[in-house]
Parts: sequence; structure tokens; C-alpha cells
Amino acid sequence: MRAIEVSGLEREFEGAIRAVDGVDLEVAEGEIYAFLGPNGAGKTTTVRMLTTLLRPTGGRALVAGHDVVDEAAEVRRAIGVALQEAALDPLMTGRELIALQATLHGLVGAEATRRGDALLARVGLAQAADRRVGTYSGGMRRRLDLASALVHEPRVLFLDEPTTGLDPVSRKAIWEEVAALNREGTTVFLTTQYLEEADNLADRVGIIAKGKIVAEGTPASLKAEVGKPHLEIGLADGSAAQAERVCTAFGRRLPEKEGKVLVELEGGAAEVAKVVRALDDAGIAVESLDLVEPTLDDVFVAKTGEHLEGDIEQAPAAAEAG
Amino acid sequence: MNRLGVNLRVVAALGRRSVRQTFRRPQLFAPILVFPTLLLAIQTGGAGGAIELEGFPQVNGFLDFMLAGAMVQACLLAGNSGGIALAVDLEMGFTDRLFAAPISRFAIVAGRLAGTAALGAVTAVWFIAIGLIFGATIEGGVAGAILVLALVALSAMAFGGIGAAVALYAGRASVVQGLFPLVFVILFLSDAFFPANLMLEPAGTIAEYNPLSLIVDGIRELVVGGLDAGAVAEALAAIALIGGLSIALSAVALRRRLRLGA
Amino acid sequence: MTGRVEVAERRFSLRGDMATVGLLVRRATNEILRVPGAAIPGVLAPTIFFLGLTAVFGGLTQLPGFTADEYQSFIIPISLLQGAGFTGAATGVNLARDIEQGWFDRLLVSPAPRPVLLAGMVASASLRSLIPATFLLVVGFAVGVSWPGIGGLLLAYFFVMGTGALAACWGSVIALKFKTQGAAPLMQAGMFVLILTTTAYAPLELLQGWLADIARINPVTQIVEAIRQGFTTGTITWGETWPGLVAMLALLIVLGGLALRGMNKTAE
Repeated sequence: MRAIEVSGLEREFEGAIRAVDGVDLEVAEGEIYAFLGPNGAGKTTTVRMLTTLLRPTGGRALVAGHDVVDEAAEVRRAIGVALQEAALDPLMTGRELIALQATLHGLVGAEATRRGDALLARVGLAQAADRRVGTYSGGMRRRLDLASALVHEPRVLFLDEPTTGLDPVSRKAIWEEVAALNREGTTVFLTTQYLEEADNLADRVGIIAKGKIVAEGTPASLKAEVGKPHLEIGLADGSAAQAERVCTAFGRRLPEKEGKVLVELEGGAAEVAKVVRALDDAGIAVESLDLVEPTLDDVFVAKTGEHLEGDIEQAPAAAEAG
Repeated sequence: MNRLGVNLRVVAALGRRSVRQTFRRPQLFAPILVFPTLLLAIQTGGAGGAIELEGFPQVNGFLDFMLAGAMVQACLLAGNSGGIALAVDLEMGFTDRLFAAPISRFAIVAGRLAGTAALGAVTAVWFIAIGLIFGATIEGGVAGAILVLALVALSAMAFGGIGAAVALYAGRASVVQGLFPLVFVILFLSDAFFPANLMLEPAGTIAEYNPLSLIVDGIRELVVGGLDAGAVAEALAAIALIGGLSIALSAVALRRRLRLGA
Repeated sequence: MTGRVEVAERRFSLRGDMATVGLLVRRATNEILRVPGAAIPGVLAPTIFFLGLTAVFGGLTQLPGFTADEYQSFIIPISLLQGAGFTGAATGVNLARDIEQGWFDRLLVSPAPRPVLLAGMVASASLRSLIPATFLLVVGFAVGVSWPGIGGLLLAYFFVMGTGALAACWGSVIALKFKTQGAAPLMQAGMFVLILTTTAYAPLELLQGWLADIARINPVTQIVEAIRQGFTTGTITWGETWPGLVAMLALLIVLGGLALRGMNKTAE
């Protein structure tokens, strides 16, 4: 059984706006699947449909083997959800939130308490458990939100932009936790606007733009699809023409950038040593050498003609102020 | 442009903003028009029999009597709303931007008060219209209606000064919001809803001396009696008293805020 | 991971549902217990209105045909219901805030049955409305409200809790429809109109034409009269009580049903 099976999923809002426009995807059990796309691409709308919060206007979605419309209750029992911007009540303590979450999932009594304590310890909030959430930092809030999504040991975990607006250290902590959960067998579906996040964490990536999936695959295969790695060679003055002649043997020459010679490596990264040797043999002095792998952004540009970056750095500072 | 001109423009611009803000947010707008209107309707329907009571002043109907109270109530609530909005501006740092501008600091408060006065004028027009539609007569005629409008706008400004002073002093919307029940204490202890001579003691005696009663009487006389220079003058005096005091308090609170840099 | 199957297959039980309601109620009490001063206006306002209305309209008892000797005993049911109405409406405002801030999604993605989630909100409003009511009754007895008897007092508390629940349902209907705190005045105005277009200020015979017509068909009039009997006559009769009970039940069914419908339509 697939953890998530989606076919022709659509969501139209009033005014004939199609936020999600025919999405097909499958996520295997035990996989980490990342949904990558800019703001407004349809990521959150898709997640809201998969988590039963929003009814699709077309298509079908099965989560943990249950239809998200007809068997919403079964879906809810099988999933854990940490939504964007961690909607947490600032007046509650961390422990109270976990207790409420456990109760909502039908866990009561000593078992719920034990489970809650273990989770708080796991995400490093044991010390802060009796403080009000209002006093937590952004990173602590996300970790609490993550813990609360795990209370009932969900089979499929949905994380909507789990690290948006977090500092690098907090982001790393969340990544490690998600990877650990996955190793224990939890299927993870996450949305992100960070290339790095999808690249680091995901087994497979779906790239979504304007409500449609434009590319899907492992990070490596997607990158391979758009092109091969290239070398950026910085040279002493006057030797550029000679270097270009030498490099043509290894692959297509790319347009010069900031005075550097760029060459695509037909044979992949393994050819770097050969290029260096050839340049050396020709007596060309190399000042710098960079191997540039294609990025998911390159994939995005190749598929949509637009860059993924742009509104990425809008940190939700306001959400952390309260 | 001279400095006065600049400041007047600032006052006008901020006044416009505060009126617009009020009409865009039902939470600010409802207490000023909707709730006083509902209360007017229900009190007129529920206590209308009161005009039969011995000692009740000579009026065409209970609605005629109640209009002035509804307007003054709306003004008090507009003043309170204006204070809340100013406190929100302070909390959000909007006023910092204004404080940094090369304009008179008091123009910032004056702009808010100008907006509140405009809202007062709107409520006056609204309640005169309601009154006329449901059978009340404005005995003072057109001149009387214009005077009502002026008195209501000026009292809104005076009450707005109290809201502004509290907002500037406390800097927190929740504190100004907390004045809400107080508005009704002041109203119930005036003759806004009933003739003071028929109210229970000690409220009746307090209402006799409450300056708010003078404002209500001035407006009410124009509706139920006619053009009465004496009553209007007394109302203006009460407005000047409250307005002078509240604006002085606002100025002090503003200075304190700027000095403390809070 | 051990225990996964066990947890995933857990069935929902009455005990679990009660625990959910309990925790939702407890969360709601945070609003008044953990925010300094937040409870004060809601507790004071009904009492201020009670004292004010008594002082202002107290003379109405002199009108021929007025059915009570002291206005404070006549008007206190209205202030009790208003306190409950505003407390309940505040629950709607809080729900709108929870929807705006995404907290409500947290409840909706859980498998807890929707009626249980609604019950949590309604129960908290019901219990919270006891606070302004109790404060008001203490002040009321101090300024001469007649003792309604134990039965009358319990009946008053019963209807206060019912009205709190009613107002919470109404507030939830509006919150679920508009999903913004901007709808707050509608929640308050709805209860305001429902409670005051009754025999609130005077007996039916003394109301002006249009209000008398509305009061006659407004079911809340029956509730007002059911509470009022104890305070104005000192005795409770079944004949004065059952119409109030029927009215309360009917309103709860209608508004509760609408609220539940709203809960089930959140995904649309």
C-alpha cells in the first residue's frame, strides 16, 4: 500500500481560481517526499486537502489507504500534522498543549502523560515544558509543534513549511528530528520553499508551480535532467583563449561569467582531475577552480522559466514576536 | 507653505485616516452606530410608556426625548474607539513614524480628534434621520438641526480627548478598552436616558450635577423644545469644560510619553 | 515503533470525549485566569447595566399595570441573561481568533468527533457565564433584589448556563461563517437583540406596539418570565416555568444544529 496516492487532485476557489490544478503523486511508505515551490504555488492548499481540512473540488486522494473525503475520520487517525507558522496558543504551557493533543487523539490517563513527557524530552523541551508557549523562541515553537504532531505515533506526518523563518541552527535541529523519525518508519510529506531543505531531506521531490507538478524525482535525477555539472575556471590574464581550447575536449563551453571560463563536464564530476591535468600540461596557471552542480533551482528555471527564489527570505518575524 | 498650513494638512490627513479606519473595521464602527441604535429602539419600545409618568417633560414622543441621549452615547463610544485606535497605533509603532516627522506633535493627537469629531457629525446626521423617519420632530427646525450637529461633533471631540489622554498615558489598547463599562456608568448617571427628576436616588441627584446632563439637555432642547440660546450656551460651556480638561490632559500625557521616549 | 498499531486502532470512548471537553474548557479558562484583568469588564458590565437601568428606569414601576414593586427585581433577569449572552458571544470571538490564527485547524485535523469539539466550546461558555451572574446576584441582593427562593435561584442559574451555551452556539455559527474577528459585533448584536426584544424593560402590556409584537413571539420572553417569577413573586410555578424550558430547548436545538452544520462545513 502507498502512504499517499493522489490522482487529478483539484481545488478551485471562488472566482474560478485554481489553486491546485490536477496534481498526481504517489508517496511510498517510509519515504520522505518534499513538495517544493514558491509562495502561492498550491503547496499549502494540497496539504490542506490531504489532511482533510479542505475538500477537493476534483480528483481523489488516499492517505494511509483511506479516502480524504469519504473516510476523513480514518485519515485523521493515521496522520500527524504540523501546520505552517505553528498555530500555538501562547497562554498554554508546552505540557498542556501535548496533553490536549493526546486527548484529541483518544489517549487518556497515565499512558498519555508518559507519552507526552517522552516526546517533550525527545525534542529538547523537557526543561521548558511548564513555561507558557508565549515565552518560547521560534525554534522551540516548531519543535513543540512537531512533538504535538507525534503524540499518537502517526503513520504519515505532514509538515507544512516546517522551517520557514527559522535560524540555521534551529532549522538543522528540525531536519535531524525529521530524519530520525523517518528512520523509525514514519512516512513524511513536507512542503518547503527551501531548495536546501528538499535536497538534504527528501528521498523524492515534487516541484509545483501554479497548481501543477512540473517535475518529480529524486533530487539527483532531477538535477541530472537539467544538465551536467560544470567547472568555473579562474585564470591569470591572457590565458583565457588557450584554456578554452584545452577545455573543449571535455564538453560544451558555456558563456563566460565574471571573467571565468565555464565548461560543462560531459563525463560528470569525475573528469575534474583530467581537466586540471590538461590545463597544467598546457602550462596554464589556474587561479581558482569551482565545480558547480546543478541545483533544484536550475530544475525550476528549466521547467517554469522562473527562479524559485525571491520571496524566500520573508521571515515571519511577526509570528515570533507574540 | 507655512507651518500652520502644514500642520492643518496633517490634521486633516490623519482625521481622514481615522474615519476611514473606523468604517473599515466593524469592531470600531458597530459600537458607535449599531449598538446605540439598537439600544435606542429597544429603550423607546420598552420604556416608552414613561411619558405618562407625572413629572415627565412635555414631549411629542419618547423617541424625541431619547434622541439626544443616543447621540451623546454614540459620541462617548466614538471617543473611546478613537482612544483604542490611537493606543493600537502606539502599540504598533505607527505613531513613532509620525513623531519622527517634522510636524507639531500635537497635530497627531489633533488629527485623531478631528476624525472623532467627524464621526460625531456622522452620528448626529444618522440619529436625526432615524428620528425623522420614525416620527420625531426637530422643533428647532433646520437651524436647530445644524446646531445639534455642531454640539454633537464638538462633544465627540471633547470625549475623544479623554480617550486620547488615556491612550497616550497607558499606551495599551486593552486599558482604553477597559473604559468601556465606565462610559455606561457616566451615561446612567446623567439624564441621557430619563429625566433626572424621575430617576431613583442617589442617581437622580448625581445626574443633576453631571456636566454630561448639560450637553444632553442642550441637544434635547433643540429637538423637543426649539431654539433655546440658554440651553445651547450651557451645553457649550460643559463641552468647553470637558474638552479643555481632556485636551490639557492629552497634552500632558503626550509630553510625558515623548520625554520618556516610550 | 512499538504500540503503533495499538494507538492507530484506538476507538473513541465516552471517557476520551469527556476528557477532550474537559481540556477544551480548561483551555478557555486560560483566557480569564492567565490574562491579567481580562475578566473584569465582562464581570462588571452586566452589573453596571443592572444598577444603571434600575436607577434610570426605576420610576417605571409607578406606571399603572406594572407587575413589580421594585424595578431591580424586575430587571435582574435581563442583566443575568445579558451577562451570559456576552460571555457566550465572547466564545464566538475567541473561536474566530482561533480560526484566524490557525489554532482551530489543530483541532480539526484530529480525529475527535466534531460535536465533541463544539461541546467543549459550549460547555466553557456555559460555565464562564456563572461568574458574571454570581457577581451580579451578590450586588443585586445587596441593593434590594427580592430573594427568589432556592428553587428560583437554581432556575436562574440554569437559564444563565443555557443562555451562555446558546450564545456560544450563535457566536460559533457566525465565527465559522465569516472566519474573522471582524464579525464580533454581529455575535454581540445578535444576542443583544434576542435578549432585549422581550419583556426586558416593562411588562408586555406596557411595551410600545412594535416591540410588544416582537416580544410576544420571541421565545426568549418565555425564558425571561421563567426567571422573573421567582424574583418578583417569590414562588415558582410549573405553568410559568415550562414555556421557558421549551423555548431554551428549542433555541439550543436550532442554534446548536446550525453550529454543528458550520463545523461540518469547515472544509468547503
